[in-house]
Amino acid sequence: MSRSKIILIAILLTGSLTTAFAISFLSEVSVVVAQNNNNVFSKEEEKTTTKETIVTGGHGTGYNTVSTTGDVLDSINADERTDLTIDPMKYLREFNYGKVSTTDNGIRLHEFTIIAQDKNLEVSPGVFMDAWTFNGTIPGPTIRATEGDLVKINFINNGSKPHTMHFHGIHQSQMDGVFEIIAPGGSFTYEFTAEPFGLFLYHCHMQPLEEHISKGLYGVYIVDPKTPRPPADEMVMVMNGYDNDFDTENNFYTVNGIPNYYMHHPIQIEKDKLIRVYLVNILEFDQINNFHLHANLFHLYRTGTSLTPNEYTDMITFSQGERAILELSYKYPGPYMFHAHKTEFAEKGWTGLFLVKEDQSEPDVTAFKKGENAVYPPEIGNNTFTTQTKTKDSQSAAVVSYGEASQGGS
Amino acid sequence: MESDENRIDRNNRKTSRKKMIVIALIPLIVLSGMLVFLLGPGMSILNIGIPLPEITIEKIEFQNDKIVAFIRNTGPEGVEVAQADINDRMIPAAIEPSKTLSRLAEAKVIVPFSWIAGVPYEVGITSSDGTRFSKSVEAAALAPTPNVQQASYFALIGIYVGVIPVLIGLLWFPFIKRLGMNKYKFFLSLTAGLLVFLGIDALIESNGIVAENIAGAFNGQVLIVMITIITFLVLLYTSEKLVDRAIMKSDANSSKSNLVTYHSSSSSSSSTTKDPQKQQQQQQQQQQQLAKPFAIAMMIAIGIGLHNFGEGLAIGAAVLLGEVALSTFLIVGFTLHNTTEGLAIVAPMAKSGGKVTIQKLIVMGLIAGVPTIIGAWIGGFLYSPIAAIIFLSIGAGAIFQVVFSITSWMSSNASEPRKALLSTPMIAGFTVGMIIMYGTSLLIPS
Repeated sequence: MSRSKIILIAILLTGSLTTAFAISFLSEVSVVVAQNNNNVFSKEEEKTTTKETIVTGGHGTGYNTVSTTGDVLDSINADERTDLTIDPMKYLREFNYGKVSTTDNGIRLHEFTIIAQDKNLEVSPGVFMDAWTFNGTIPGPTIRATEGDLVKINFINNGSKPHTMHFHGIHQSQMDGVFEIIAPGGSFTYEFTAEPFGLFLYHCHMQPLEEHISKGLYGVYIVDPKTPRPPADEMVMVMNGYDNDFDTENNFYTVNGIPNYYMHHPIQIEKDKLIRVYLVNILEFDQINNFHLHANLFHLYRTGTSLTPNEYTDMITFSQGERAILELSYKYPGPYMFHAHKTEFAEKGWTGLFLVKEDQSEPDVTAFKKGENAVYPPEIGNNTFTTQTKTKDSQSAAVVSYGEASQGGS
Repeated sequence: MESDENRIDRNNRKTSRKKMIVIALIPLIVLSGMLVFLLGPGMSILNIGIPLPEITIEKIEFQNDKIVAFIRNTGPEGVEVAQADINDRMIPAAIEPSKTLSRLAEAKVIVPFSWIAGVPYEVGITSSDGTRFSKSVEAAALAPTPNVQQASYFALIGIYVGVIPVLIGLLWFPFIKRLGMNKYKFFLSLTAGLLVFLGIDALIESNGIVAENIAGAFNGQVLIVMITIITFLVLLYTSEKLVDRAIMKSDANSSKSNLVTYHSSSSSSSSTTKDPQKQQQQQQQQQQQLAKPFAIAMMIAIGIGLHNFGEGLAIGAAVLLGEVALSTFLIVGFTLHNTTEGLAIVAPMAKSGGKVTIQKLIVMGLIAGVPTIIGAWIGGFLYSPIAAIIFLSIGAGAIFQVVFSITSWMSSNASEPRKALLSTPMIAGFTVGMIIMYGTSLLIPS
């Protein structure tokens, strides 16, 4: 009996082994079948998914897309936002000279009112942070005067914590914004002569300094030389970051307050026209930050304290608080990137585009927003599946173009 | 008079029942009143502290040119998902069905991304308040898609890992059958040792899943213990019932056959009634001895089947989540490990003296082995960590119940139960069983 049982079990075992082999053989066959079927499947899907929203990965040309029936988590496009930290387009070319008058001594006086206030701001699409601001924006207003002018700032602290305003430049100790602490509800008047000419910044100098700066209390202060620099299309660029989860590491990096903003809203400039960029790095937590210009070089005036350029380059690296004036002009029309060449920062929002125009007529900014232009947004397939088949053919090309877009023409 | 008393009694009972219901409801009414009061307006005084959002990423799948994360809001309140990232770099993504998640709601985040196989990735989800939640995957691997090819691949793994080893183990039946009593006891307790190891293994495995994939909101560890205990109790109860029914059936059969003699003897003289009673007792004991090992073997087969189901789930999920590279070595490890399970099934039946048919053995072998295939399918195609721990805990409960049955069966057969359990072959067998399991488990890289 037991012998026959052994034989039977042995038969069963060989049976299951043969089944196993048969299945492995069949699965080899079915690979081919499945591959053939996939094409049919994707075609069927094409018809059903055309009405869905399309999400494009990355910010470069030719990156793969997915279609969805749900919501889009667009970390890059800031168009539908509510509580922006700032309007980067307005901030870019907005220079505040204050209420200008002349003193009895014949000196020009610039009077400003700056109010520190707490504000919950959208620092990146959909992401809100409890921020501290000068006049409700990050960065605060750009203050500008000419060398020798008198600057008077009526500072009011409407925030919940004590703050100060510390200006870089030459001034008296009591106007340095370090020892006179302005309590919540308090106010203080800073008064000093604008000197020397150059590019400076201001920020709160309360302890803990890291917290007061990373939460948004900073801005740009420009002192023009008595003999003005040559006329140019002038703009301010402040490089900053946001630590919205408060772990002393930045989650987002920006130029002028909103991650990737100028990717969707390119800064329009004219071909051959002199562009002057007042570039300031206030980035907290990270050791360095930098600026890289595509397809061009710029003349660099460190701290803006000289009228002779220090360098002719396409790349400048700053530590926190460093700044420089950049002068450039574009020889050819078209869109050109500028971004941090610390690629991590670039991929966390510190990127932008110059759109160099032949003349004022074309192309329009909206072309970039709606994706009619070849540069942004990338090619949009009809749906996931067509895009997938497309990227299969052009995958290497897609990856390369993404790399170029984000890392620059290095 | 009597009927009146009865009526009064009944009335008393009726009123007391009504009373009972009211009494039982009173605390519930007070409780709901309190809830209304607490949840009503003006009770903000009790809202101490800031409720922190919590999003758990339960599963990450790598599909063609996209990474898909399955997330759940495990925080105390509703949450709005703001952004997704890969390796902490901003990437636009899609979220289905919606970026607004109520408490415990799920969503699928689809990130278009040209990932590279074998490379580690971290997926991050940032909520609207700026908090970032992340989960990393050791090595990206293409998620299996439910098609004929993948299904047959998993079936193949299941057959190698589950079915064949168990059937090989069954081949020990004639060997065990011919063993002397002491050696038999050794092997029986060896089985118990194997099973205890498997049970503990299942508990640790499910605890690992809880730690890695399940949010605190689900009380995962308590769930494991609860399911294990409930399974243990339910199986204990049902197996006792099964044994009882088996005895009853065989009793009925035997009494039918003995009907004539039984009746005649009882009717003929009252003096001989002792004899048939003794006879009956003897018969019952015999039946019990036969039925119990079968029931135990069946329970072992079911318990091991559940365990193998869990094992299948783990294998399928590992393939899905890209956590393991399935190699021939891994399959060999599982095969060696699971061969001992066949031994566990045949051991209690070998000495029962009853007829053990091939069909019964094969059925038991399949009950124990085939769930591996089903587990691999489920694990590979629709993995859910919650389902995984539920099945693993059921398996653990089943296994502990089996061990309990084996030991109580062995001790009930002996005149001195305690001595029988603590005899040299028993202790040695149990120890060797655990060591064998540990040894073969080393062949499976985890």
